[in-house]
Amino acid sequence: MSGTARWLTPPMTDHRAITDAVAGPIVDRRAGKAWWIAFLASLAVVLAGAAAAGLSFEYGPGLWGNNSAVVWGFPISSYVWWIGIGNAGTLISAMLLLTRQKWRSSINRFAETMTIFAVAIAGIYPILHLGRPMYFYWMAPYPSTMHIWPQWRSALVWDFWSILSYLLFSILFFYLGLIPDLATLRDRPGSRRWRRIWGAAALGWQGTPAQWRTHTRLQWTMAAIATPLVCSVHSIVGLDFAASIMPGWIESIFPPYFVVGAFFSGFAVVVLMAMVIRRALDLEGMIRPSHLDAMAKVILASACVMGLSYTTEWLSALWTGEASSLRFLRFSFTGPYLPFQILMLIGNVFLPQLFWSPKLRRNPIALAVIAFGILIGMYLERVQILTNSLSIGWLPAMWTLYVPTIIDFLILAGALSFWVLLVLVTARVLPLVSIYEVRALAEEAKE
Amino acid sequence: MTALVIASYAGERAFRAGFEAARQSGRRIVGLWSPMPVELDGIGAAEARPIGWIAAAGGLILAGLFYLFIWWSATSLYSFDIGGRPLNSWQVFPLAPVEFGALAAGAAGIVAFLVLGRLTRLHDSAFDIAEVERASSDRFVIAVACDAGADANRLLALLAEAGAAHSRVVTP
Repeated sequence: MSGTARWLTPPMTDHRAITDAVAGPIVDRRAGKAWWIAFLASLAVVLAGAAAAGLSFEYGPGLWGNNSAVVWGFPISSYVWWIGIGNAGTLISAMLLLTRQKWRSSINRFAETMTIFAVAIAGIYPILHLGRPMYFYWMAPYPSTMHIWPQWRSALVWDFWSILSYLLFSILFFYLGLIPDLATLRDRPGSRRWRRIWGAAALGWQGTPAQWRTHTRLQWTMAAIATPLVCSVHSIVGLDFAASIMPGWIESIFPPYFVVGAFFSGFAVVVLMAMVIRRALDLEGMIRPSHLDAMAKVILASACVMGLSYTTEWLSALWTGEASSLRFLRFSFTGPYLPFQILMLIGNVFLPQLFWSPKLRRNPIALAVIAFGILIGMYLERVQILTNSLSIGWLPAMWTLYVPTIIDFLILAGALSFWVLLVLVTARVLPLVSIYEVRALAEEAKE
Repeated sequence: MTALVIASYAGERAFRAGFEAARQSGRRIVGLWSPMPVELDGIGAAEARPIGWIAAAGGLILAGLFYLFIWWSATSLYSFDIGGRPLNSWQVFPLAPVEFGALAAGAAGIVAFLVLGRLTRLHDSAFDIAEVERASSDRFVIAVACDAGADANRLLALLAEAGAAHSRVVTP
């Protein structure tokens, strides 16, 4: 099979069938048992996480594993991990659009959805980490009689503006793509109340040639803006570390290495989502094994770049011979965090090498195992960036290890479940696959 | 008396054939609706052309203003001396404006899209045409004005011949 037909199989080549398959479960069907089980289970964990966050507000960050040396623990690791995942959706969507990848149609919407929720969750962590979260608005410039003002030379202020801009931009980009599909939901017989909501959100979309042209032109324009924006956002997160003087952080490779890591972990989430969505929503005709195969190839390439980045970091330390860098390297490979370092390398570099096998690229179990392995590996990487440097900083008298507490784990689990909960709710009210783009692909397949 | 001939097509190719037939017949095409992007000659090109420029202008202007704001606040409004570092640290000032400028460009583009695409008209008269409802699902629709009677019948036949799945004449 070649060309456009690889990405769609009958009956998903017919406009009516495409509309029914994606819009039908939202408008016509009630949520099934599996949805409710997933919803209630996630809600329970979210409540546990919220309780842990509430305790942290009440008693302060002393409940976490952070200590006077490792001042950035799980909250900042989680922030970097989530923002990485959150970077990928818009990047995937925009880059695949700009490079005219036909297989984008079936995956871009849920990739963008996961981005928005991941970035929103990422934004919560620095606020939690402040210790006095009610003052987070001090990061924004506002007329202040106390002369509290953002320090424009600080990487943390750059972070604030980049994350805020990126989140809002991603919402606009997501909403723009959604408008024609909201009109589809509006025009489908069903609940009057929901049709009114979708109708208002569709902004009176009719699908005239002028509307389509302006829509397409703006999508391309936004994709062209989004690609460098995404790269800059995670580069700025990389600068949070690289702009410091800590051994292990002061690395010029950090910004690009963070961007690749983001792309890599984001694709792992997209693969997992694709496998769940195609089964749960019965969309196997439009999210095909070819899609999984294409994504696995991207993951494989990214894993190789990750391996190259790690090697470059280690070899730089060896070549320079700088004492603090060598101590950092020795500590990473012989210190108490070694098992995590090994797990990280397995998840991020070695496990994805299995994707050299075309069979494994299409095997759901292999895909799920490798994608989970990457997510765990990337989380461990984010944790170790902090712990390996901060545990053995410039003052030997302060050297100490980091051990997360149950509160740290509960907040992490709560955030993960909150993301699942948001995706579950979205799947009930918005199409997770771009209907009009799949229709366009179907038309192309007919030719 | 003027009538309206409305024809629906199941696919893009037939829709294009119907559009060509209507255009060559010399009648006025009142409306075109499709469930996916279809470019028909230059229709809508004038509306779409300025989008990129408006987005770029919005982004550049707001990024510039933000840069000036940072410079003003850092050098005179709230000036901090941190270890003797220059107040006008212009090398790092562009970072936040670039990020904010990208957001401003996207927002300016969205506003331009709403205006040029004639959106936010929730109660447009086009929604009174039953076929338009299916244009968001699975039909490509064309509406052509003509004289009622024999002329309308000729046009109806012409559009049907181009491959219309359904067509009808509407008279006031």
